[in-house]
Amino acid sequence: MGLIRGALAGAALAVGMASAALAQTPPAGRATLLAYPGVFRDNYSQVVVEPFQRRAGIQVQYTEAGNGTSAQMLGAIRAQRADPQVDVVIMDVTTAALACAEGLVEKLTPAELPVLSEIDGLARSAGGECGPGVTYDHLVIVYDTRAVNPAPAGLASLAAPEARGRVGLNSPPNILGLGMAAAIAHKAAGDWRNLNAALTTLRGIAANTQTFDPNPDGYTMVLNEQLRYAIGWNARAQFYRDQSQGRLGVVLPEEGAVFQINTINLVANAKNRTQGLAFIAHALSAPAQAAFTERMFYAPTNTQAQVAPEALNRTAAAPHYRSRVVPIDWNEMVRLRDSWNQRWRRDVVTAAPR
Amino acid sequence: MIGWLLMLPALAAIGLGFLWPMLGLFRISLNRTAESGAMEVALTTDTYAKLIGDSYTWQLAADALGLASLTAAAATALALPVARMVRAASPRWRGLLAVLAVAPLLISGTARVVGWVAVLGDRGLINALLQAAGLTREAVPLIYNWTGVRIGLTESLMPYAVLVLIAGLGRLDPRLEQAAATLGAGRARTFLRITLPLAAPALAAAFLLCLVLGISAFITPHLMGGGRVFVLATEIYELALESVDWPAAAALAMLLLAALLLAIGLRGLLARRRAEAAR
Repeated sequence: MGLIRGALAGAALAVGMASAALAQTPPAGRATLLAYPGVFRDNYSQVVVEPFQRRAGIQVQYTEAGNGTSAQMLGAIRAQRADPQVDVVIMDVTTAALACAEGLVEKLTPAELPVLSEIDGLARSAGGECGPGVTYDHLVIVYDTRAVNPAPAGLASLAAPEARGRVGLNSPPNILGLGMAAAIAHKAAGDWRNLNAALTTLRGIAANTQTFDPNPDGYTMVLNEQLRYAIGWNARAQFYRDQSQGRLGVVLPEEGAVFQINTINLVANAKNRTQGLAFIAHALSAPAQAAFTERMFYAPTNTQAQVAPEALNRTAAAPHYRSRVVPIDWNEMVRLRDSWNQRWRRDVVTAAPR
Repeated sequence: MIGWLLMLPALAAIGLGFLWPMLGLFRISLNRTAESGAMEVALTTDTYAKLIGDSYTWQLAADALGLASLTAAAATALALPVARMVRAASPRWRGLLAVLAVAPLLISGTARVVGWVAVLGDRGLINALLQAAGLTREAVPLIYNWTGVRIGLTESLMPYAVLVLIAGLGRLDPRLEQAAATLGAGRARTFLRITLPLAAPALAAAFLLCLVLGISAFITPHLMGGGRVFVLATEIYELALESVDWPAAAALAMLLLAALLLAIGLRGLLARRRAEAAR
């Protein structure tokens, strides 16, 4: 009897040890990631996804929705609510807030995802109870360094006579347009919500604007010599600057740094929840964050990430940028968006006939 | 009975490919968008009431109708000589000319718009020629405005008008024009007094088809409007993919569909009355 009891105890101990080992090792299998296309996909796959696949033995299928905007990603997970085909989604913070409110993505806790304790407060709060910020970025002016000298100091410089017909802006409700208007309002009135204070400058810029809808994007149109100035996001701008060997200039506008946060989310009722969670833990980890920052200049949200100073200084995390942040509450911006859109069309675009 | 059975595959295809998605769209239009922007499942017509009560919606509808009317008229007018030329050609060349006339339809709408950017852009072909000839010093804005959209949309509608007119003019009896010429009418008079009245139903059909396509056109206003041209289709796109307000986007799409069906129904009614009056 004693022998049997001892054998059972031994077996239980062995099962327990095996379970503990399993709990520490991410399970093999697969997960589906929905994120941005183009250069983001190319670089994220190389420095974040592929190392994870090698280390964890989990196959990650990188997918895109439509032309890759966050809104289209939200559309995809809305349509798949009853039968999710995606496990993890990376989308901008305003769209992610809608996904969180609609119950399309899961709430995440430090108990389940310990790496959350390493995440910067702004990135953690940006996602609310759902997925935290995985990258920081900020609004910049891009310009053609061959045709423009000196570099523009700020957004107001785009209203100068020499910029006539050479500016590309993204209109609200695009978040670039909303961010630009908020930065000008913040500079003019000390309050990013005060659109009235920004209207004079916005009309001046609009009068110089060739297109309010640069296609495929402002960076490409500047490099194609269709435009001399455009607005864009720092990470892509820095990437294109290197690719164009400095032809594309990048300037943080003197009006301030408008932060944009991409969050990483676990889709509700994901088929590969455990694998998806393991990927999120990896994407938020310090090494993955540092690697992606050094590759593409998205600032890390993990406070432990050790990033080469030359790369860090070109990101939104650089101290000289952090001190000039325009304190936009993007959830509040969503509520203001419709009225800003109407004011933009009525008071800004009409001032810019062609 | 056999007729209905033969129609079953087509009806099933229409049901699955068109009616079912349209029902889904209609269901979304009855949901509600919360202040936070999140979509709430509901059964309400609030979104319709808000859109119909908003003067901006009517402005968009008026702009879309104005754009579509102008470009449909221009496309039909420009297509008429092309269709007449195809009709007048020898049977040996007629097929080839007809294919050439509608060849733009073989190219994607986006690619054609990119082509227009190269022609009409500030650094495009026309501006380069104008500046080289010393006629202008600065670029003439021919794109990223209403002018560019009108040019692009007229070009994209023309092949449809040509197709309808080739079919319509093909039914005209050429002996009527020959008779008018025999009786001393000049070319212009023959065209105005004989060809044009006889071609009126084909012209009306071409105009209506272009009008319907023009009202719902999206790619040209979106890519050639430069964010300055707002019509119903661009608004639906913006609501769906920028503001992520699906109920409003779906409701506006349903209203547009209802307006188009109404226009086609009215046209059918008028044609029937005209036919009855002619009997």
